[in-house]
Amino acid sequence: MAPRNLLDLDDVNAEELLALLDRAEAFQRDPSPRRTLAGVPVINLFFEPSTRTQTSFAIAEQRLGAEVVTINPGDSSMVKGESIADTAITLAAMGVGAVVVRHKESGFPYVLARSFPGHVVNAGDGTHAHPTQALLDVMTLRQEFGRIAGLRVAIVGDIAHSRVARSNIHALRALGAQTILVGPPTLLPDAMAQTAVDVERDLERVLPTVDAVMLLRIQRERLDTALVPSVAAYAAQYQLNAERLELLRQGAVVLHPGPYNRGVELTDEVLEFPGCRYVNQVANGVFARMAVLEALCA
Amino acid sequence: MRVSEPLLLRGGRVVDPSQRLDAARDVLIENGRVARIAEEITPSEVPAALALDLHGAIVAPGFIDPHVHLREPGQTHKESIVSGVAAAVAGGFTAVAAMPNTTPALDTPELIRGVLERARDAGLARVYPIAAMTLGRAGKELAPYHLLAQAGAVAFSDDGTTVDDARVLRRAALYARDLDAPFISHCEEASLRAGGLMNEGGTSARLGIAAAPRLAEDVIVARDLLIAGDTGKRWHIAHLSTGRGLELVKWARGQGIAASCEVTPHHLFFTEALFEGFAASGRVCPPLRTEEDVAALRAGVRRGEVDVLATDHAPHAAGDKSGLLSETAVGFSGLEIAVGAYALALPDLPLERFVALLSTNVARLLNVEGGTLAPGSVADVTVLRDEAWTVEPERFHSKGKSTPFAGLRLPRRAVATVVGGRLVYDATGRQPRVADTSDGHATLRIGTR
Repeated sequence: MAPRNLLDLDDVNAEELLALLDRAEAFQRDPSPRRTLAGVPVINLFFEPSTRTQTSFAIAEQRLGAEVVTINPGDSSMVKGESIADTAITLAAMGVGAVVVRHKESGFPYVLARSFPGHVVNAGDGTHAHPTQALLDVMTLRQEFGRIAGLRVAIVGDIAHSRVARSNIHALRALGAQTILVGPPTLLPDAMAQTAVDVERDLERVLPTVDAVMLLRIQRERLDTALVPSVAAYAAQYQLNAERLELLRQGAVVLHPGPYNRGVELTDEVLEFPGCRYVNQVANGVFARMAVLEALCA
Repeated sequence: MRVSEPLLLRGGRVVDPSQRLDAARDVLIENGRVARIAEEITPSEVPAALALDLHGAIVAPGFIDPHVHLREPGQTHKESIVSGVAAAVAGGFTAVAAMPNTTPALDTPELIRGVLERARDAGLARVYPIAAMTLGRAGKELAPYHLLAQAGAVAFSDDGTTVDDARVLRRAALYARDLDAPFISHCEEASLRAGGLMNEGGTSARLGIAAAPRLAEDVIVARDLLIAGDTGKRWHIAHLSTGRGLELVKWARGQGIAASCEVTPHHLFFTEALFEGFAASGRVCPPLRTEEDVAALRAGVRRGEVDVLATDHAPHAAGDKSGLLSETAVGFSGLEIAVGAYALALPDLPLERFVALLSTNVARLLNVEGGTLAPGSVADVTVLRDEAWTVEPERFHSKGKSTPFAGLRLPRRAVATVVGGRLVYDATGRQPRVADTSDGHATLRIGTR
């Protein structure tokens, strides 16, 4: 039985992940429009602004033939002042087949899915999960290396507040990769170490040992809440720059979910680095999201 | 209180730690007092008495809950004194100590007297008001401790919040030092607690939920115990939830500091795992902790290091707990699951210890009557039965229906409650009945809700 929702990747197994990656690659080979979701209203419900992810989903939905509606709850009477259950019932009554939702609070899609009879796709909830981002990340890695099993992938930066990191941890583990989390204890609690996930503090020691480095954006507010001393202090330990790129193995790649902060977690040299796969990630996003929507709704 | 007919409790197992008594006994209650306890008292000896057959039941001195929120005045949509005391007697409690985080906070003698009057009118369980530790519970100015105590306050607490300012707290303790009524601390350091929706640990790290560390509680437990030692004020730590906190209380007692502590049913049974799947049913302050903490607290209860059990009964209006974690009400309805939940969490706890933790020790903590069935003492009696039942919150007398124990099978329940010699709750028949005292008489009625 096909799953109803994509809320996170923690309950998606290797076989299902590989099937999604295969479909995403098939869409990439033949990006022509489909009728898979013809007549299905799909709502993009983005409580948090996100040009990139919202656009990527909209293009994916349109390519599958869905009727795409985007709601910005900030300027709509729907959702505002309503309970989540009321919103779910309203959307269902309108015949909405799927809701793609982003919200600033961890768990919001779970609460929505309890009352919404259609499909819920998590487009990022708080600091919890961003499953389609992780899917496009592993898709990018598989295209690079032909496999995920056995890879060593470093995720560097503000892991504690990163939904991208959390979903990638699930995907990489399910597919047999070893994840190495790198950051200071305030942004990377010891409690995040688990099976197939190591916690390291020294980026320069990790870089020569990995096949890929995923950088995460450091948000300004982390500086205001005494989590890191300063940009300069953070950069001195954890910024990827020209000098540190030299430490990477031959063939290693760099990923970033965007948007990036030049001069904080990376420098311009990283964006110019031949192994930087940032643009591939963005391109793969559309196909990965098509694969997810097809698997849930078709 | 109106004098009622004599009551004869026949054939029960009487467990009274104050008399080191644990044996099948009959108990005769007359004029609101325990008149006689004997191996057999036949109904023909007291023909006027209402006799209850309690074979197979446990008869104990009335249970006292040292920590409930009755929400009155000001928040009667959540609970009222009337609904709260009905919940109390239905849960086997003959008395409750009511926290002052009402609207307004209980910080004047008039407000304390108001609670006592409302409780007298309600006529079921006794209510012992706890007065605010600082004016308006704002943590800035001292409350008039001696006047509050004269009005009937049995303790002082800003429960629900922590007095952040250590100087204010120390001065409060010095000023109130000569009063027997203890200070009761709610221990959560504000800056460490900020924004936390659950315990910081493996579950919060995995789910990306904003969390506060155990340290937030432990640093205030340590601070307040040190202030207790410094000032000589008798001190009680509310709803202790960490193993480290218990170690601190033990350390303080070892130093000769007059310190005591309580634990709740939920902290003895549930952990942060309740948040899996973003279920909002587990939000409470202090938060549900880890298996390690649950084990430490249970061991502390067994070893006698925990002084009393307390529900922290925190009813909320029927708003759902199915929404977002950040928007969900904090706290659980506890009075009507307590005796069963404690028995579930502590299956190997000797009955005498169980009764002491719920009755004798609480009476001593709050310096109130009860806690004993010795002849001549006030006839507050809790009758229990060790039989399994399923928690159905919609049947609660409390307005608060939220409890993580919902749907669980609990091994013990209250079957009758006697307050001042009056049978105010009776579930020995098929339909449980709570006394209706609206006409000045204690008439047992079915379906009082």
